[in-house]
Amino acid sequence: MRRRVLTAVAIAAALTTTVAACGGGPGGGGGKITDDKIVLGVLNDQSGVYSELSGKNSVTAVEMAVEDFKAKYGDDAITKNIEVVTADHQNKPDVANTKAQELYDRQKADVILDVPTSSAALAVAGQAAAKKKLHINVTAATTELTGAKCNKYTFHWAYDTYMLANGTGTSVTEAGAKDWYIVYPDYAFGQDMQKSFTEAIQKTGGQVITADPTPFPNDDFSTFLLKAPTLSPTPSVIGTMHAGGDLVNLVKQYNEFGLREKGVDLSVGLMFITDIHSLGVEAFAGTTFTDAWYWNADADNRAWADRFQAKTGTRPSFAHAGNYSAALQYLEAAQRAGTDNADDVVKALEGFAFNDVFAANGQVRAEDHRMIHDSYLAKVKSPDQVTEDWDYEEIVETIPAAEAFRPAAESGCQF
Amino acid sequence: MQHIFNGLVSGSFLAMLALGLAVIFGMLGVVNFAHGAFYMLGAFGAYLLLTEWGVNYWVALAAVPVALGLFGALVERVLIRRLSALDPLYNFLLTFGLALLLQDLVRREYGVQSQPYTSPLTATVDFGLFTYPAYQVMVLGISLVVCLAVWLVLSKTRLGVIVRAATERPELTRALGIDVGRYVAPMFGFGVALAGFAGVLAAPMRAVNPLMGGDLIITVFAVVVIGGLGSIFGSVTAGFAIGLITALANLYVPTLSQTIVFILMAAVLLWRPAGLFGREEAFT
Amino acid sequence: MILSRLAGRPVLLAAGLITVLALPWLIYPPVAMDVLCWALFAVALDVLLGFTGLLSFGHAAFWGTAAYAAGLLAIHYSLPFPLAVLGAALAAAVLAVPIGFLSVRRTGIYFAMVTLAFAQMVYFLANQWSGLTGGENGLQGIPRELFGLDLSDPFFFYYYGLPLVLVGLWAAWRIVRSPFGRVLTAIRDNPARARALGYPVDRYKLLAFVLSAGLSGLAGGLYAISHGFASLQEVNWTTSGKVVIMVVLGGIGTLWGPGLGSLIMVQLNDFLSTAGFDGIDLVTGGVLILIVLLFRRGMWGTVVDLLARRAARRAEARAKAKAPAAEEPVPSGSA
Repeated sequence: MRRRVLTAVAIAAALTTTVAACGGGPGGGGGKITDDKIVLGVLNDQSGVYSELSGKNSVTAVEMAVEDFKAKYGDDAITKNIEVVTADHQNKPDVANTKAQELYDRQKADVILDVPTSSAALAVAGQAAAKKKLHINVTAATTELTGAKCNKYTFHWAYDTYMLANGTGTSVTEAGAKDWYIVYPDYAFGQDMQKSFTEAIQKTGGQVITADPTPFPNDDFSTFLLKAPTLSPTPSVIGTMHAGGDLVNLVKQYNEFGLREKGVDLSVGLMFITDIHSLGVEAFAGTTFTDAWYWNADADNRAWADRFQAKTGTRPSFAHAGNYSAALQYLEAAQRAGTDNADDVVKALEGFAFNDVFAANGQVRAEDHRMIHDSYLAKVKSPDQVTEDWDYEEIVETIPAAEAFRPAAESGCQF
Repeated sequence: MQHIFNGLVSGSFLAMLALGLAVIFGMLGVVNFAHGAFYMLGAFGAYLLLTEWGVNYWVALAAVPVALGLFGALVERVLIRRLSALDPLYNFLLTFGLALLLQDLVRREYGVQSQPYTSPLTATVDFGLFTYPAYQVMVLGISLVVCLAVWLVLSKTRLGVIVRAATERPELTRALGIDVGRYVAPMFGFGVALAGFAGVLAAPMRAVNPLMGGDLIITVFAVVVIGGLGSIFGSVTAGFAIGLITALANLYVPTLSQTIVFILMAAVLLWRPAGLFGREEAFT
Repeated sequence: MILSRLAGRPVLLAAGLITVLALPWLIYPPVAMDVLCWALFAVALDVLLGFTGLLSFGHAAFWGTAAYAAGLLAIHYSLPFPLAVLGAALAAAVLAVPIGFLSVRRTGIYFAMVTLAFAQMVYFLANQWSGLTGGENGLQGIPRELFGLDLSDPFFFYYYGLPLVLVGLWAAWRIVRSPFGRVLTAIRDNPARARALGYPVDRYKLLAFVLSAGLSGLAGGLYAISHGFASLQEVNWTTSGKVVIMVVLGGIGTLWGPGLGSLIMVQLNDFLSTAGFDGIDLVTGGVLILIVLLFRRGMWGTVVDLLARRAARRAEARAKAKAPAAEEPVPSGSA
């Protein structure tokens, strides 16, 4: 008897709550700017392996973009009420998924920027599609964002695995290193890189003797490094597709085993200037790699880098400049569209061609939302060539925007 | 051949950690979850001494374990001892909390980015058939000496007799009127010092980062289950053996390289639940 | 004994129900959903830890496996989400059979280490088997399907998921109160005696392990559906540790406590991360140390103890006031 009463109470309670909730409904006015403000969300790694190369300083870069936008338009700006909010995704896709949801729903973000780590980026792209809000990815590498898993609300800004392989794989092979031994971390990014590099190397007439996946994360690469000289033919170069702590470990052990002296060179798939800084130039001297932007490449970059340094105390990586550019171009697009409505901003971004401090000859491709721009082949200086802190790179070659990235026709992207 | 060497080198870390775990377990009946965190603190200690005060590696190798050992003894006095009368699971939980705390403290201070630590020995040793980095050879040598020394001390000296007796027959030892309590804090400290020692040895070889011990400790648990937790000899042997087997798996069946230790553990549990060198009475 | 009386009390049950029903009004709805899932997970672990005396440090294996199973069922077979979640619970229970069979051969601290190691193995398998699990990327875009209803609003989804959790909690309560549960408690308190009485102790433990894993699977499956996502984090040892902390914080062997523990932990986590404080492990580690040192009975257990002591004092006082001869039974807290 008592139990039945209880059940009835419970059901009644459930009903009332549900009905009342229906009354709530979605709010929001019909103005040009939703919630009377534009909110830029920066979601990235603020304490982990990528916190140096993007992290909190990316937030600073985005704030610089807001500053410049306000200065440029003054009273004509679409709104003066621009907020920058931020969250830490710890490089975990599940955290990224939850945080993206929170940024869009709770913090009313109109766009989420940055998002290193491919798995996390794909999760955020999924949320962007579900919430119909923008995601401009800067620091993740996977071509899936503009390929099989592309969507209408996701843009890819700074670089991707195709661009890295196309630059580094091709040029190192052309320079004479025909026989590659590739080691890659056994997760999405590594597998993606391995595939892209193999294609680029074969296209240039080189060969990949073998490619070994390494456990992730891993701190002992000696098995693979010892294997290298025993392969037949002896590889001319080891291509590592590792990032962060794994890369640091591998390079350290590569130097310990003295492989360079044995004639086996090292080529690094993805490298940020912060990696060079943390291991020291001598560990990488002479290594060729592909860069999306270098702070000391010309006077404009340097001027921007000086401003950045004044605020952060350090020199910017290409990810920082990329975030500045993505934030600035988002605001410019909203200005052109006259609203922060996602569909209109997407339309304003599509096909747009521009130049800013990050992107030379930049264009947002309408077909797959890849932002293409000139990219660079860089070489790590030897210690005696370094004239000041962070002066580590020498730009060897500029790869024009149209050649640097995967052609839109090959992307396989369908909105 | 090189791969066998490699396996033994990574096995030496497992062995030293398992040894420390076994000593602590033997003396206190406590499984120290924070053992991995102490290993990490050892590596960080060496890193900090070098970068902050320019103290070189060899000094760190002596100083860091001593400091950590004292810290360990303090932890025993202040925390572990309070729970010694209770189910050892409480101390397992306590050390788990301690591991989280220490790991996060270091992470907040230094980030999870790996810190570079240059090797004190850059030469290579020529074995005729192959050459091998001198530092790795040294690590293997030192760890063998340490394990042997601990074993000798425990089997030949009076202190050893007491510790072993307390380890293997705690009630009986107490009944014989030996004040086991007096040895508890020093032995806990000693176990922690061993972990710190392994950490300093690891610093030039492995990435020095706050998470380096967290994953390793689970493998060490499996090693200890395989060797038999009560057995010092078993822990050390299993440590080296697992290092070797993992390296060979890495070479021949890479897909198994991370799981093989757990498969072995399952097999041991089926075949000899007390572990290869454990005694049946050691568990109920 | 006071605990069982309290737990049986309809007032308490109604209060619990109202809290659960009101939760998404009080806190951010997706977080409320997390509380539900973790509460069921913690209660499931408590069935094993509190009532069978086995500390599993590897329950992430079951929660995570279920998360993947639910995701795969929803993605590839477009099952209505309650069926996907039930399938996931089944998958977790099936996995628990071999792991449990090997693990129950050891008890106490060994059991904790062995389950932890097996869970780590499941983690590495999930990592390697990326064709199925998505590896590092995780399983993304898990749909929520239920006869074409729109379940996208997390507020409403909470009420759709709630019945599953209530069923799970009810099952846990039934298990503990059943004759089977009493045997488990007897085994916990004195395994030798239970064995002497002719109970196949290992088989009882195994069954408890499998049931606990199945309930954890129910929670993990729902969690994956609610997030639309299953990742390696779900099978990581930190997840095992997190749920153990919830149980210890709330109070081992109280069933209500783990629920309370999960509410506090999830809320704390959300509060710290929205406040921009990055040091969640620092706080949880510190809390765990304090709880283990000072409040081993957990929050629920401590409160119940206090109430019991007060009741006892009152009863004593009353007994003294009336007649010294009239003896009332003094209730004592049960573990």
